[in-house]
Amino acid sequence: MSKNGFISLLFHTLFVTFMLAPIIVVCLVAFTPEGYLSLPTNGFSLRWFEAIGRYPEFIRAFWVSIGLGALSSTIVLAFAVPAALGLARYQFRGRDAISALLLSPLMIPHVVLGIAFLRFFTQFGLSGTFAALLIAHIVVIFPFALRLTLSSATGMDRSIEQAAISLGARDWVVFRRVTLPLIMPGLISGWALAFIQSFDEVTMTVFLAAPGTETLPVRMFLYIQDNIDPLVTSVSASVIAITVLALIILDRMFGLEHVLTGHSDRTK
Amino acid sequence: MAFLELQNVTKTFGDHTAVNAINLTVQKGEFVSLLGPSGCGKTTTLQMIAGFVPLTEGIIRLDGRDLSNVKPAERGLGIVFQSYALFPHMTAAQNVAFGLEMRSIPRSDRDQRVRDALALVGLAGYEERFPRRMSGGQQQRVALARALVIRPQILLLDEPLSNLDAKLREEMQIELRQIQRNLGTTTILVTHDQHEAMALSDRIVVMNKGVIEQIGSPQDTYQSPASAFVASFLGKTNAFEGEVQASRDGISRILVGEYIYNTAVHIKGAVIISIRPERVSFAATGLRGTVRTRIFQGNHWLFQIETSAGIATVIRQNDGTSMPEEGHDVHLAWREEDTFVRTNGKVG
Repeated sequence: MSKNGFISLLFHTLFVTFMLAPIIVVCLVAFTPEGYLSLPTNGFSLRWFEAIGRYPEFIRAFWVSIGLGALSSTIVLAFAVPAALGLARYQFRGRDAISALLLSPLMIPHVVLGIAFLRFFTQFGLSGTFAALLIAHIVVIFPFALRLTLSSATGMDRSIEQAAISLGARDWVVFRRVTLPLIMPGLISGWALAFIQSFDEVTMTVFLAAPGTETLPVRMFLYIQDNIDPLVTSVSASVIAITVLALIILDRMFGLEHVLTGHSDRTK
Repeated sequence: MAFLELQNVTKTFGDHTAVNAINLTVQKGEFVSLLGPSGCGKTTTLQMIAGFVPLTEGIIRLDGRDLSNVKPAERGLGIVFQSYALFPHMTAAQNVAFGLEMRSIPRSDRDQRVRDALALVGLAGYEERFPRRMSGGQQQRVALARALVIRPQILLLDEPLSNLDAKLREEMQIELRQIQRNLGTTTILVTHDQHEAMALSDRIVVMNKGVIEQIGSPQDTYQSPASAFVASFLGKTNAFEGEVQASRDGISRILVGEYIYNTAVHIKGAVIISIRPERVSFAATGLRGTVRTRIFQGNHWLFQIETSAGIATVIRQNDGTSMPEEGHDVHLAWREEDTFVRTNGKVG
């Protein structure tokens, strides 16, 4: 381990501060007893956390976000795994084109996608439905799941599968008993990243959500258009708390560095 | 009848011919090595036998049966890969048991065979270890046990020892040889290591640029190389430029530098004479030269000698007799039957 120089230490301190400060401020403001956003605050109160209970639409939006994120990430993974295995292993005509197509949602501004989807779904009478949200989210989060799945599929030693085949395993058995366990870290991280992207998405979703299918970020966005009070900070603080909890659980179960890079460190 | 038969087997990738119309027969119980430099087609040949690479042309028969339409999973071959290719998420015992599970061997029988296989490779007691907690040599043994436990018709070894250090490799060679002899499993080894091929094989198949240069016992291929490539690939060799002169009395003579001796070869003109360094001796007459360097290597001496026919390498056993020193003038001699003479295409 080499020691950091003064300049790099300063840079990292500033960088971390810059990243964390807004989050800490939001969490602190959430405990204010005042009726407006204030910092420094005099006193400590949970009134804005209690207030969440009086707004059932926030609770419902939270569950819509969780359900939408979990469902879209799972569906995305079901497509990303075969796509990644195909792209990682075979050289075929149009391979680069398919790869570019699958990753292209990354390059289109979400506001453009939002308008396009709105027009598209209205045409088919799907506008404002959960199905419309689901389809739109699947398209947008697909590249994230694909990238991580692809990286673990590419890094896999193919002779391990050949060994299984030579021992008499059929294609499906090879996939289930060997391939899947080996790319599992990539799948878990791909799922997690896709989920976060879906949970976080607001720019496009705001065009597609109707009352009843509002996601949490959309609900918060709409709320602060009319009200400026610490309710959104207490909601934010709650989401942050849940996220931190989820990360701790992930770390305990799989090791966070594996989840975030998509690589298993099996040689250790 | 041949157990494994490769007939006119060819593999092309685009316009590159990796394996060019090779023919090979392997008898039951035989240990055959495919030896050659990287890119010679030996691994492609192994992959075709295993069924992972389809043939462009030709037929592979196993025990009289055409393998063209037999899937790799149905060929019943045991393969040991260079990277070991163990299942990292399974213990040693689970790795070995995998092939038996695929064959639906009953549990009790399976456990017994897994224990026996691990004991065979000297890993009794390592059943519950995961591969990442084992050394390279141990992983290699698990891979061998996994391939052998299914009682394969043929054991295919793809550079299995090249990731091990020199000492361990030698130990594994001896062990591999013993196991193969005891079980009588027909084995094909792919290697670029001539020592490994010579130590292990009944027969060596020397390959170069997709074709077979020579098939023969280790002694034959080393002592009577069929081509210049085989001579240079299998151990060190001297290559002197010379000339074959036919004289009026019907006896041909070879001229190397200023050294002339009678020969029985039937070619004429410019030739290259190959001879192993250990077959060259110091004599009272012969090719004249000066000792440039002399290196002591324990059981033998290694000399570099400057002659009128170029630099010669000479290896002499350290048998206690005194050896010429650096700077001394010497004469080099050899027996005609130890040489390999071919036309020198460069000149002629």
